[in-house]
Amino acid sequence: MPSIRVKNLKKYFGKVKAVDGINFEAEDGEFIALLGPSGCGKTTTLLMLAGIYKPTDGEIFFDDKLVNNVPPKYRKIGMVFQNYALYPHMNVFENIAFPLKTLKLSREKIREKVLEIANRMFISEILERKPTQISGGQQQRVALARALVKEPEILLFDEPLSNLDANLRMLMRAEIKRLQSELGITSVYVTHDQAEAMTMASRIAVFNFGKIVQYGTPDEIYDKPSNMFVASFIGNPPMNFLKGFSVKSVNSELHIFRDDVELILPLKMKKGIFESGVEKFILGFRPEDCEIEFESSSNSIPGTVYVLEPLGRDIIINVKIESTGEMVKVFADKSKIPERDQTIHLVPKIEKIHLFDPESELTII
Amino acid sequence: MKKNNGELGFFKRNSEKIMTITIILILILITLPIIIGYFWLIIRSFSEDMVRGFVPTKLTLKNWRFLWSEMKGYPNIWVTTFNTSIVALGVMAIEVLITSLGGYALSRYDFPGRSSIMKLILALHAFPAISLMVAVFYLLKVLNLLDSLFGIILLKASLEIPWGTWIMKGFYDGVPWELEMAGLIDGYSRFETWIKIVLPLVKPGIAVTAVFAFLSGWSEFVFINTFIFSQKFWTLSKYVKGIIGDFRFADYGLVTAVGLFYMLPTIIFFFFVSKHMIKLTIGGVKG
Ligand SMILES: Nc1ncnc2c1ncn2[C@@H]1O[C@H](COP(=O)(O)OP(=O)(O)OP(=O)(O)O)[C@@H](O)[C@H]1O
Ligand SMILES: [Mg+2]
Repeated sequence: MPSIRVKNLKKYFGKVKAVDGINFEAEDGEFIALLGPSGCGKTTTLLMLAGIYKPTDGEIFFDDKLVNNVPPKYRKIGMVFQNYALYPHMNVFENIAFPLKTLKLSREKIREKVLEIANRMFISEILERKPTQISGGQQQRVALARALVKEPEILLFDEPLSNLDANLRMLMRAEIKRLQSELGITSVYVTHDQAEAMTMASRIAVFNFGKIVQYGTPDEIYDKPSNMFVASFIGNPPMNFLKGFSVKSVNSELHIFRDDVELILPLKMKKGIFESGVEKFILGFRPEDCEIEFESSSNSIPGTVYVLEPLGRDIIINVKIESTGEMVKVFADKSKIPERDQTIHLVPKIEKIHLFDPESELTII
Repeated sequence: MKKNNGELGFFKRNSEKIMTITIILILILITLPIIIGYFWLIIRSFSEDMVRGFVPTKLTLKNWRFLWSEMKGYPNIWVTTFNTSIVALGVMAIEVLITSLGGYALSRYDFPGRSSIMKLILALHAFPAISLMVAVFYLLKVLNLLDSLFGIILLKASLEIPWGTWIMKGFYDGVPWELEMAGLIDGYSRFETWIKIVLPLVKPGIAVTAVFAFLSGWSEFVFINTFIFSQKFWTLSKYVKGIIGDFRFADYGLVTAVGLFYMLPTIIFFFFVSKHMIKLTIGGVKG
């Protein structure tokens, strides 16, 4: 299977810079995700990989071959569209057989291949039906079967699960991941659901406004977000931010403080903080990286419980920081659940905190 | 679909039933004059004479004699019918071919002048074709297409094509881009994708365009009357006009029979395509 390499790729629609100079690569057989909010250029990127859109600028390589000018039919790709794009006038069998009809295969051979993939996708029972006569989940499988039947070398997915209900989405998520690793087809998966990207892909490209703001493994993206956008886009619930912190040295200790709290930072952060030249900071910590105390301590931030959100396994506590009105979400230990309007004290895990530059929103620590 | 309607009907309340019946009654009342008119036409054409103009007397086929005997001063009816079919089918063929290509281009390609073309089409539609008569006469003369059915076909088709293209564009607009993209990715060229995926999805549009083209060719009178001089090129509209306007026989029996004969294909055509027509009115034509 080919690798994919994208260099400084751009696509402008008139004045709209849908994709504005992106770089990423996917190894042979890798599963990568393009993740970002609506309108950030994910689909446009995918369609350039497919050969439907011609790039305004930049290069796309499959292995070492420049494919910018190769028409879709010679790219050996399969694609699953968000709305499945099944041909309404053909039944399921004809839909799956359609890509095969371009090859010089006998009718028996085509039939055999269609039945094989249909079997694998559990849709053998519905081959005679029209796309409008099957459920969304089944349509999804048919679209997948149609994309796979020609044994493509590259698979492109454009939010294939977004029209399914939550349960089915989880199920298909695992199935697609399994299928991809079995077949070893290099895959690019577009989604705006961070959970899908995190669970399925080995690397994630986070998009915003036509640019890739970070490209890395799910762990890298989760633990070391490159800026506040990534930090707030990844994670459910997302990272908490508290504004207006300053840093000072106290007796060879490093303190970060504002009116309502003063925290002692690990000394290893000192270098990065002072080199940044930034004076005011935004403090960030993930909901799971914070303890709740009922007693005040030197390292804690006071707040009142605003509302409780039980999730079965966990419970999310929404805390309002009284002095600033900021809202913070933290996961609580089930043995230590506070009540509404109770005053509590948040103790962020100091090793896990992040600091951001409020101007550029870039990560400092 | 049928089943659903049934279930809905089951839950219908009485007041709604009365409403439906009222609507149907009103519709019947409104269409009554037309129905009576056609009814009279049929009766009259098979009747020897009408007492006071509306009571039929003796059953006869005499009025239909033009079908099997030559009418003095008129061309053979079957040749005339054949000519009419040629014009209708010719207009239909040319119009379907060109509007299905042009509609696609207007819907899918963003070429310079696209929006001006679309505005122009609408504007053109507002002008009566009659206003072009003199110019068209010279054009046909230069092209040596006066007194020729082919000339009529070209003329009629070219006048119908802009509007037909507009209609077809609406149908193409309803076909999602993704289907075409999928076709390209599945290994087909743009043209193959158009043939195999897009065209089958705009079939209702093609049917509608075809029917309108056929009927407009079939009913064409003004151009035939003006640009056709030889009787051997007459079409039915001219024939009917001749019979009606002829002072030698003010034979209403004959007029009704010829008129009915002329209308037959129209009625049959509507019968066959009414399903598509309903789709058109329900689905609407998206501009
Ligand atoms: N054919 C086009 N012509 C003009 N603008 C376009 C076209 N396609 C996309 N755009 C614009 O480019 C930007 C990126 O669109 P794109 O479809 O790639 O977003 P996306 O990331 O896939 O979003 P979504 O998650 O909503 O599908 C949008 O602002 C969109 O309006
Ligand atoms: Mg998209």
